[in-house]
Parts: sequence; C-alpha cells; structure tokens
Amino acid sequence: MSAPVIDPVRPAAPDTPAGRRPRAKRTTPARFDTALGWSDKPGLAWTFRILLCAIALGIFAAPFLTILSGAFTANASGSSLSFLPHDSTLLNFKVAGERGIWDYFTNSLVIAGGGLLLQLVVCTLAAYALARHRFRGQALILTLFMLTMMLPEEVIAIPLSLVLGDVPVVHLDLKGTVWGVILPLGAWGFSVMMLTEFMRDIPDEIEEAARLDGVGELRMLAQIVLPLCKPALGVAGVLGFIMIWDQYLLPLIAAKDPTDYTVTVALSVLRTDPEVGSGVVLAGAVIALIPSLIVYLLLQRSLVTGIAAGATKG
Amino acid sequence: MRDHRRSRRPAALLVATALAFGTVACGAGSGSAGSDDPNTLEVWTRSNPDPAATYERVFAAFTGKTGIKIDYQPVINFDQQLQSRASTKDLPDVMINDTALMGSYQSQGLLKPIDPASIRGGDEITEKTWASTVGIDGKHYGIPYSRQAQTLMIRKDWLGKLGFKAPTTWQEMLSVAKAFATKDPDGDGKADTYGMVVPGSAQNGYAAWWGASFLWQGGAEIIAPDGNDTYRPAMASTAAVHTVTWMKDNLFCGDNGVTQPGALTAVTSTATNFQDGNAGMYLTGPYNIATFDQTLGKDKYEVIPAPAGPAGGDVLADGENIYFGARTGKTAQERALAAFLISPEGQRLAMTGENQPVVRIPVNSTLNAAKVHGDARWSVVQRAYEDASEQFPNAPDFAPIKQDTADALNAIFTYCGGDVRSQLKELDETLAGDLKDQDLLK
Amino acid sequence: MTATVTTPVARRLPRKKTVVPWLFLAPGLLLALVFKFWPMAKGIWLSFFDVRPFLGDQWIGLDNYTRVLTDHRFQDAIGHTLVLGLGQSLGAILLGFVLALLLEGQARSLKIIRTAVFLPAVTATAVVGELWRLMYYPTSDGLLNSGLHLLGLGPVQFLDNPNLALYSTMAMGIWIWAPYNMVIILAGLAGVDRSLYEAAAMDGVSLWQRLRYVTLPAIRPALGIVLTLAAIRGLRVFTEVYVLTGGGPAGSTEVWMTRAYTLGFTRNDIGGASAASVVLLCVTLLLTVTVNYFRKRGDAR
Repeated sequence: MSAPVIDPVRPAAPDTPAGRRPRAKRTTPARFDTALGWSDKPGLAWTFRILLCAIALGIFAAPFLTILSGAFTANASGSSLSFLPHDSTLLNFKVAGERGIWDYFTNSLVIAGGGLLLQLVVCTLAAYALARHRFRGQALILTLFMLTMMLPEEVIAIPLSLVLGDVPVVHLDLKGTVWGVILPLGAWGFSVMMLTEFMRDIPDEIEEAARLDGVGELRMLAQIVLPLCKPALGVAGVLGFIMIWDQYLLPLIAAKDPTDYTVTVALSVLRTDPEVGSGVVLAGAVIALIPSLIVYLLLQRSLVTGIAAGATKG
Repeated sequence: MRDHRRSRRPAALLVATALAFGTVACGAGSGSAGSDDPNTLEVWTRSNPDPAATYERVFAAFTGKTGIKIDYQPVINFDQQLQSRASTKDLPDVMINDTALMGSYQSQGLLKPIDPASIRGGDEITEKTWASTVGIDGKHYGIPYSRQAQTLMIRKDWLGKLGFKAPTTWQEMLSVAKAFATKDPDGDGKADTYGMVVPGSAQNGYAAWWGASFLWQGGAEIIAPDGNDTYRPAMASTAAVHTVTWMKDNLFCGDNGVTQPGALTAVTSTATNFQDGNAGMYLTGPYNIATFDQTLGKDKYEVIPAPAGPAGGDVLADGENIYFGARTGKTAQERALAAFLISPEGQRLAMTGENQPVVRIPVNSTLNAAKVHGDARWSVVQRAYEDASEQFPNAPDFAPIKQDTADALNAIFTYCGGDVRSQLKELDETLAGDLKDQDLLK
Repeated sequence: MTATVTTPVARRLPRKKTVVPWLFLAPGLLLALVFKFWPMAKGIWLSFFDVRPFLGDQWIGLDNYTRVLTDHRFQDAIGHTLVLGLGQSLGAILLGFVLALLLEGQARSLKIIRTAVFLPAVTATAVVGELWRLMYYPTSDGLLNSGLHLLGLGPVQFLDNPNLALYSTMAMGIWIWAPYNMVIILAGLAGVDRSLYEAAAMDGVSLWQRLRYVTLPAIRPALGIVLTLAAIRGLRVFTEVYVLTGGGPAGSTEVWMTRAYTLGFTRNDIGGASAASVVLLCVTLLLTVTVNYFRKRGDAR
C-alpha cells in the first residue's frame, strides 16, 4: 500500500453544474433528498415503499417483540413464546433486580460513558493525522490500527490480563478499576478507519482557505473538519457505544470481584443460571438495550441530516 | 516527498519508545494480587454471584473460628484467570473446582500433593471418595469437597395418568418415553410432549458427560487402565458398540419425540424442556431440584435411580475438589481451611441457606444428605453416588478425551445412516492420540 | 484530476510541523501499543511454545502450526468458515445497502422505522443467540415453524439438520450485521450533495444511472469501510456460531475460530489455539490489504 493520496476528485468540485446554483435556502423537493428519489406524495412508489418498510419491520423488529413479550411473561419458555405476552407481569424484572442487574447496569454506564468519550477523542485525533497529513509510514500506521481488530480477543486475553494487573513502565494495577476496561477500548481500529475515510473526503479547498486565514491544527479539526464529518461521528458514536456495551471478556478479565461486572457479563451469568428462566434473561436484555437505543436516537440525526449542500463548497 | 525524510525522526522516536515499553513489560508482571500476609488465604471458586454468597458465609464462619482471613474471589472464567496467574508464578492458595480438572492441573504442575492423613477429619471421607483424587503418580492432589451422581427426574403425574410405573430398565424407560411422546400425558390434545431431555451438544463435551452413564450401564468405558499407570482407549469394545448403537437406534434415530427436538445442539442451560413441562424424563445431577420444585411443583415429579442397562445401573458421578496451589508456602493455614470445609459444620453451612447450595452430596460420611437438605429425595442421589456410580478417570488430563468422545457421539447420533462400529474405531484412534500426547499410552 | 496533487498541508507546512501528525497519533498509538500490540505480540510468541504457564513454556518451533494445519477438523472448518464468512458478509452488505436506500429520509415515520430496524444491532449477542434458538424451535409451535405450519409446511429442523444448520446460522448473522452496515451506508448517503440529484434530474437520467453514477461514487468511503470490515470480520466469525449451535450438530457449523476456542479453552492447548489464531490473522491481514489495494485502484481510476 502506498501512502494514500487525498482524492481531490469529488462530485462537489466547484466547476460542476451544481456548483453554479445559488445556495440560498434549501427549496429542493423531497425527491432530491434521497438517493432513490422517493416521493413523499401518495402514489404507486409510495405504496411500494410502505410495503417494503413493513417487510423490513417484520424481519428486523418483529423478532424483537418476542424478547419484549418474553420479558413480561412469567415462566417464558421455548415453545410458548409469542409476539405478545400472555399475562403481563413485572416479576422477571423484579428477579433480575434481585440478582443485582441495576448495579451492573451502573457499572456499564460509567464504563460506556467514559470509554466512548476517550475512544472518540483518541480516534478522532488519530484519524485527523491520518487523513489530513502526509507523513512517512502513514499506510503502515493505518494498517496497524486495523490490525487491532483482527486478532481474536480470546487469544490475547491472558497476556492482556497480565498487562492490566501491572501496566508496563508505570506499574499500575488497573484490575478492579473502571480504567482497566476503559483504557484498552481507547484505540478502536474501526473508528480510526471510518473517521479517516470520511475526513479524507473533505475537499482540500476548504482546508486551504482556512489555512490562509491562519487557523491552527486544533481549531482546524474542531471547527472545520469535525462539523463536516458529522455523519461519520454519529456512526462512530453509536457503534462505539454498542461495541463497548457489548464487551464481555474484557470486563471479566479486568474484574477483581463480582461487583465489578457489567450488565453484559451479568446477562451471560443469568443465561447459565438454572434458577432463573428465559424470562429473566430477556428482562435483563430489555434493560440492557435501552441505553444503546437512547444513544442511537440521540445520534441518528447526524446520520441522515446530510451536509448542507453549500457548506462543502468553502 | 521532501517531508518524508523529516518525518523519520519522530517515527524513530516512537519505535524506540515501543521497544522500551516492550523490554520493560517483559521484566514486569509479577506478584500483583495474592497477599503475602501469612494469615490471609486467597481462595478461588468458579462461581456465579449467587452461589458465591454461600461460600462467603462459609468462609466468614471459618475466619470467626480460626482468625485466618480469607481473600475470596469467585471467578467465572476460572481457567483463563488461572493461566494468567500461573504465568506470574503466583497461584491462589486454595481453589475449589471440578473433579475432572485435577488431571489437567496436576500435569501443569499447578497443584500441591496432599497427604490425606494431614487433613484433620480426613478419615471421615470414605475410601472410595478419597480414591477419586489420586493423580497419575499415585499421590493425592485434591481433597474431596462435594459430590453428586446422576439420577432420573421423572414426571410422577404423567406416569400415573398413563398407567406406568417408574422404569427400572432401559427397555422400560424407552416404553415410558414413547408413551410420554405419543399419549398426550399433559392432556392438552396436542402432540407437544417428549420422552426425555438430552443435552446432546458436543460443546464443552456435554454429549460425553450425559452419555457416560449409559456407557457405564452398558458395560463400556471410555479409556481403561492398562496396568502400570498407562491407559488404553476402550471405545471400540463390543460393549461400547452395543451401547452406542442402542442409544442411536432408540433415542435419536428411532421414533420421533423420544428425545426433545433440538437435543443434538442442546447444552444444559438450553435443555429446559423438563422444567418447562413438556418433557417427562431428565437424566442429570441434582443441581436443579430447587428450580424444578419452583417451576413444575414438588408433587409433579420424583427423583429415582437411573434405569439399569445390560451391565448394571452405574451412573456418572462428579463434583468439586479442594486444591492447594503449588509453592504458596501457607500449608498449615490451607490445611486448616480444608479441615473446616470438610467438617460436618463446614459442609452443613454449604448445603443450607437461602442461596444456592455449593455442597450437594456431602463428602463427610457422618452427614446424611437428605437430613441436612431436609428433603428425602436427596437420599436417592446419595445412594446412587455411594452404591452405583463411577467417575471419569481422574488421573489423566481428561478434558481432551471428553471433548473427542463428545464430538464422536454427537456425530454418530446426528448421521443416522453411519456405521457405528467404524465411527467408534475412528474415535478409538483419536483417543489413543490423546493418551499418547500425555505419555499415558502403553 | 492529475495525480500530482498533494495535500496543501504537505506542500506548505514549515518543516518543523511534520511532528504534528505524530502528536495527534500519540494517544491512540500509545493505548494500542500497551493494550493491543503488546498482548498480541505475546500471543504470537506463545504460538511457538508448548504453553505450560507454571512449569515454564517449552519452545517447539512450528509444531503447533503443523499440528493445526494437519488436523482434519481444522481442515473441515475451512470450508464452513469460507461459506459462512462470505455468505454472511455479502448478504449483510447487500441487505444493509437496500435498507439504507429504503429508509433514507427525514420524515419522522422513517426515523421510527430506522430505529426499529436497528434493534438487532443493539441487542446483546448472548441474547440474540437465545432469541434465534427460540425462533428456530424445531417443533410446529416454534415461532418460524408455526409460520411454516400455516403454509402447510412441516416443521423444519433448522439447527439439528446438519445440512441446514450452517445456513440457519448465516441467516442470523445477516440479521445482526445488515442494520450495522445500514448505519454506515446511511452516513455515506448523508454526505451526498443533494444538488447533484437535482442536476441529474434536469439532465433526465434514469434512476439506475443516477444511482450508478452519482450515489455510488459519492458513498465510496462508506462502501469501502463496509467492505474492509467484512474482510476483517468475515473469517473471524465466532460468536454467531458459539451462541447458536456451538459448532454442532456433528461439527457441521464448526468454523476456524470455534475450533481454536475449543482447542484453547476446553483442551487447555493455548499454544495450538494461538497458532490457529495467528494463521487466521495472517489470512485476514492479506485479505484486508488486498481489498484495500483494489479499492485504491478503483479510486485512482
């Protein structure tokens, strides 16, 4: 792999016909809002879209109703599950609560909050360097970051456990602290890779103009580059949160005793606990997925708002 | 391109830092956990939080009695954590874990040999039980702590309704299973009941764990002692072929419904048909009696000895041992803890309380399981353990052997068209390889 | 445009600033070094040993590798890994793309549908396995089977039929990853300049041409990520199998990583498990580099 050249060819180069259009208020009709040009007025295409949406919902969301209905059904079991609860009860949630799910939930929140913040900062900084600078070994560094995603974590579990017990050079014992989980999550190859790809796609003209105004590196990142890759940040935020939330092995390795467990660990524990039924596991699952959903709802705006057409012109 | 030369310096700096990190890290990594206080024992068990609460109670009683403090750590991913501690050469002082792991731990040098006579109260453990902690070199490497044997859980109300009595032989069990599957014992008019529950997945060796009782009852063994501390694979024997063929033809490839659907990918945590009330029999250990009481109801089922096969009624026994970590230098305190754990008081504490019991059948022969648990059904389990049970061979590292056996059994039961004899022969060769790896093949 | 264009940064920055990118990279590299590369190097190192942590590891050279590569169960797993990895990745990319195109837009109803469709991605993996076991329940009162029952089809043994189990696992994998890919592709679609669509409409191009010549080039970063991700994750497939079938029945869903896992954690052969993982790492690295090479070449054209 050679050092990547920032691709200057972009659909939005100033000399395309589109560039000539006056960029006042957006008055484009809905059919220019989406790649497929969906119309928002009732018609054949509209009906077709509703049908497809229904199918998508059926495939992806309906199974989830089973989780929900199971969570509210006492003694839920394999053959009796359905899309709707037979007899609504909060018993499963009560049992899950007795098994300490809320304490684990709090641990998870602290770890996910801190971890996501660190991860976003670290990965954004790295991606900015990789996308907007040229230096020797660039491709190698990017490959190194991607490498972190390639080795199955089960294999590095034991060496990692040693590192967490005694961090090289500084000799800190991170086990039993939230840092033991948060720090290893800081550099996530996926976020680095994705932010790099999207940052590369920002036209050089914008950066050039800012440089002429004497904008420094940090301000360039915060005020020029980041606003332009909001969709990518949205993805990094959502998927980063889910990734941290779903960690299983790491919290186990970093734990000193059961009070350090996270909600994902607790779910696996519940799953193998003969004394609680599927209902309790599903109740735990419902509790566990609420924060991820909230994060998704908060960040999904950035996924589809789109870059205001004129902004990229600089 | 000019800049590239420039940027070499920071890169070189980084590499240097990396190397520095590397070398320091190589030297580091010793004794982080583990207290050096001779009056504190670090104790590990493989436990979920709920049974861990029972252990806490037991250890608190010990500390109150002796003044020796316990640094207790319930660990879920026990073996991973243990390996990581082993590489720092700093093991926990005392570990309580499965009997089947003894051979593996001993072969890795993780365990201290134990003289039964040095443990106060050791004479209250029977010869048979002590014999299950003898390692490959003839020394003991564990102290028995809790035992259990498989028994048959069966739906009493279904038996009554269909006019059967509790099965005592394989053939009777099969008839009952077929009746449970076809005669609508729950009376809902639907064919939604099954004869027996089987955790038949190869994952974690479940198929071998469940199937072992049948093998013993059919007169087969997985590996057999071959004189002079060596073993030979025994799964190609006539008894093994007969037994496995019987299981395949009748339980898996015969009439539908004798075993629950999905048996071949089920592990114990997913084989919930008995407690869900749609399967009538379950050959298993006494782990879940409390759960069954709660979900099914005490009056709906009973605990009976496993039906006998052509060679008798032996079932698989297993349990937990107390192990002493090698080179910990706190032998006296460790012995004191072990003595307390196997004493009537220690065992009783671990069998009662509101959390899950961690001792099932007490190893202390002065105790009666049914009396301590306050439940007559436990005497069935205790009798099965004492009179008609056999453990997996404890001396070799049995994990690979169990896994290979489970892989083979699962495949045989899946492909009904296969030839059992040749498949078992193949297994036999694999087992020979496993034994050879451990230098245990003659 | 010509290839001579370098970034303005590189062209104009004073020399001392070349240290800047390294400052930006430092936190990431430091964390990766301590918590990823060091343990990883150690893991690779172990693959050359008979690992006995307490007694001292024994150097056995390439023995672990020959053992893994000649083991017929690993060889069997290669085929399953390829089928499952490829099928699952491509299926999830295609479906994710379709979902993104279908659900792109600002309307509130779309927002709600997107959230609902995204549910599989936010559900803990352990629970997804549980859920699909229930859906695949092999009797006529199982969820999917009761649907088939209405159509007059007999109960299907989704997981217990060795010829079907791999595809049942694949379906679950696609179900998990398609919404994931959808989100990334949606982010790409958000970056497409709306005025291009208008211009395309004025030029009177067909929908297909618009998709092909306007949308696809503009979401290339997103597609690149999705492809790279597939290359990295495809062969590493593990959790999906582990929670659903555990490799069974009769090893018909055994993939490379479940085999390695069994080796390491039920047979205590950490050296062998490390060797198997290193093999996988090398293949994955090769695949990723290849995918990226072709992507770059596509970009340059």
